[in-house]
Amino acid sequence: MNSLTFDAIAAVLVEQFKVEASAVGPHVALDQLGLDSLALMEFVFAVEDRFDVRIPESRLDPRQAGVTLEQLASLLDEAIAAKASRDVVGG
Amino acid sequence: MSSAARSRAGAAVAVSGAGVVSPIGNDLAAFDDAIFAGCSAVRAHALDLPGIELPAVPVAAAHFDAASVIAPSRVPLDRGTAMALVAADDAARQAGLGAGSFDAERLGIFWGSGMAGATTFELTCRSLYAEQRRMRPTSVVTTMPNAPVAEIALRFGARGAALAYACACASSAVAIGEAMRAIRAGWIDVAIAGGSESLLTPGVLASWQAMRVLTPLAAGADREASAQRACRPFAADRAGFALGEAAAAFVIESTEHARARAATTRFELAGYATNCDGVHITNPDAGGQARAMRAALGDAGMAPSAIGYLNAHGTATMAGDATEAESIASVFGAHGVPVSSTKAIHGHLLGAGGAIELLAASRALAARRLPPTGNVERADPAFALDLVLGHARSSAGLEAVMSNSFAFGGTNAVLVATQPRR
Repeated sequence: MNSLTFDAIAAVLVEQFKVEASAVGPHVALDQLGLDSLALMEFVFAVEDRFDVRIPESRLDPRQAGVTLEQLASLLDEAIAAKASRDVVGG
Repeated sequence: MSSAARSRAGAAVAVSGAGVVSPIGNDLAAFDDAIFAGCSAVRAHALDLPGIELPAVPVAAAHFDAASVIAPSRVPLDRGTAMALVAADDAARQAGLGAGSFDAERLGIFWGSGMAGATTFELTCRSLYAEQRRMRPTSVVTTMPNAPVAEIALRFGARGAALAYACACASSAVAIGEAMRAIRAGWIDVAIAGGSESLLTPGVLASWQAMRVLTPLAAGADREASAQRACRPFAADRAGFALGEAAAAFVIESTEHARARAATTRFELAGYATNCDGVHITNPDAGGQARAMRAALGDAGMAPSAIGYLNAHGTATMAGDATEAESIASVFGAHGVPVSSTKAIHGHLLGAGGAIELLAASRALAARRLPPTGNVERADPAFALDLVLGHARSSAGLEAVMSNSFAFGGTNAVLVATQPRR
């Protein structure tokens, strides 16, 4: 996990979704953030927009129990890397 | 209908609070100043439609910061829904309707809006098509027509009812009337009822412009002045209306409930009727309107002569005003009741119109003054109307008022309000 990715996720949670900063950590699961399923979907959209990437639906259902912020950050890193290689190839 | 049914008057219900967000003020003091002065809040508004040249339209916008309103649901709010929440909060505050002062299972929310969510839907579709930005997971719940009623219900924890009414320009008059009926029938004790509308977006404005019901504006330097005078209800040179955005809410309760919680009754709702013309999708029908006014009087147990002020639907279209002038004269007689249309200054508020205009009528009751019809110096001589013009008219003995709302689709709704009983 890239710590910059995690920091960006944490900032979105605190600023846009009004989650207490103290409640945000790498091992915190999405379903422990106090957000309902709709807000969790909005949160994933928000971080995707932040990095201008899409995590394939098959890789992540944010309603699934136990998915942590660290795992979300890793999925974002994968998507960012995939996008970077596409951009290079596509020139 | 049997004559027995027609003459059966229902019990009056108490109105203990009101709240407003509107082009002419976001509190009752500012609202009063505007309606009694007859000052228009209508301005010229350019249509932002890339690649399409359309003339500017007259618009009455509210001074309102939607971003400062937090949704009880925490989903993004449509601007109209944000207005609805603020109006409902203000009404509840004035009524002293705090937690513990009511039984949540006996609280209902009744809300009218013609196109609730239209602004957000248009803007999100625009970014979907033009910028390839995806729709959001919350798009559905932000734009659904019952979003305002749902958010208000969440705010107050209402468990009795949450009902949305969409009958174009009669929506909020119907919502208020149906709340009154639910209280009379004993289904609930107390309601927050009203309406909201905010659809000053290019697509919606262009739709109304295409229908040729918005007043065309003068070109060049005269444009702004012509916008302020755009809506001239019942004048011979009337040329259409201006769209506006607003929300108004009332706390309505049974007189027993108001008494039990020691709430101050601001005014009473004494009569309500709704019917349908059943003849045309847009053309108004004097017969249907007159039947609705007579039925509301019957519901209040009043003769026409008891009404001291009528806030007309008064859209300032050629056909609409002629039809309403005819229906009013048929019920009240020639020059039989003082009439004005406050649409001249706050614009046509569509689904919020009935609620805002009931508010204007109730403020007339409270001040015993009748608001003038802004922008108009003389009534069309073809009409046998006692049109309040120029300055507010004092009305020391004012006991009862009527508010008309007549909608596209043929729905008519008429409300009768009276002074609180001492």
